[in-house]
Amino acid sequence: MLKPHLTRDSAEQYILGALAPEKAAALEAHTLECEPCAVLLQEEALLSEQLTEAASTFPQEERVIRPAAWHARRAVTGAAIAALAAAASLALVLLTGDKAPHPSLPDSLDSRPPMVAVDLDDGDSPTKTNVVACPDLATQDFCTRKAAERGLLVMNPGGTAEVPRYEAHTGLPEGALSARQPVSL
Amino acid sequence: MEASRGTDEESLSRKALAGDRGAWDALVARHHRRVVVSLLARGVRVDRAHELAQETWARLIQQQQRGLLTELRLPNLALTQAAFLAADDARRVRRESISGAVEELPERQHPVDPSVSAERRLLSEEQLSRAHAALAQVSPSARSVFLLACDGQELPHAEVAAKVGLSVQRVRQILCEVRKKLRTALEEETHA
Ligand SMILES: [Zn+2]
Repeated sequence: MLKPHLTRDSAEQYILGALAPEKAAALEAHTLECEPCAVLLQEEALLSEQLTEAASTFPQEERVIRPAAWHARRAVTGAAIAALAAAASLALVLLTGDKAPHPSLPDSLDSRPPMVAVDLDDGDSPTKTNVVACPDLATQDFCTRKAAERGLLVMNPGGTAEVPRYEAHTGLPEGALSARQPVSL
Repeated sequence: MEASRGTDEESLSRKALAGDRGAWDALVARHHRRVVVSLLARGVRVDRAHELAQETWARLIQQQQRGLLTELRLPNLALTQAAFLAADDARRVRRESISGAVEELPERQHPVDPSVSAERRLLSEEQLSRAHAALAQVSPSARSVFLLACDGQELPHAEVAAKVGLSVQRVRQILCEVRKKLRTALEEETHA
């Protein structure tokens, strides 16, 4: 084994794409012969993927517009729900007007856990797809989290709705729409 | 600037969907490294990771040529395709280890769960909030460099540097510093 072992720094530089091609090639060749270094490279790659997840979910104001301080009691009327949904739709409009808010996590609502778009049937507001159900208890947390990240309302089997826990720059009056607690439907 | 990049990616995707080879090349150039890194993170050997990444693009282009691609969202589609190929690979390895010695393989060679998609969560909720807290602690400029470079959109470091008015070298230095802080934050959690 002629090449030097990897260091955390060299592995990191490799993952970042900062190594000259010949150095990258030498590093790669070494990991094929040296299991500990292969593991080190895997660790750095995994960290890189984790950091991408952390970065893409970081609640940056430019990226995630948060409907401010939601406070509500459990007993919320249908009208209030519709108002919440409308606020969520506003947040969505603002988000989509920019760019995809979570570019590395598209499709997750559509493809992963059972999650059903709920028809609110409230006529004139474009809120129909802003409420989703997370009917599967096994994946409910994930489903809820994904929905919250997208500013969607969530209906759970228990009949509760969770709203995005975002603070916001939506231009909405502070505290006008709120629900930090789960609210019943 | 964000918008122009988004538009750029969108227009490249549109052209690629229409079969424009140049657009495919540009998209591959942009996202290839991430695909390789995602495979390495799954414990795929580096030589095989390169092969699977190539295969990933070949499959996507093939699907496009057959009219099976209606939408092209990168890097996720490529990451998912690569994950499937890695899972296939792992299944084949498992079949070939007739003695059923899967358990004896080093951790990193364990077959990938085929049900695991590219969108698997790598961080627990707690790890995520620790990482976010650590990120909130770094200087705003370092944070924006990190977010620009690492949000999954594969903005080249040269473009990040141009946006923030720093050298590529400085950008990478910052990335390494932030990375160390986040690594520490994530490790704290596991030792807690
Ligand atoms: Zn070594």
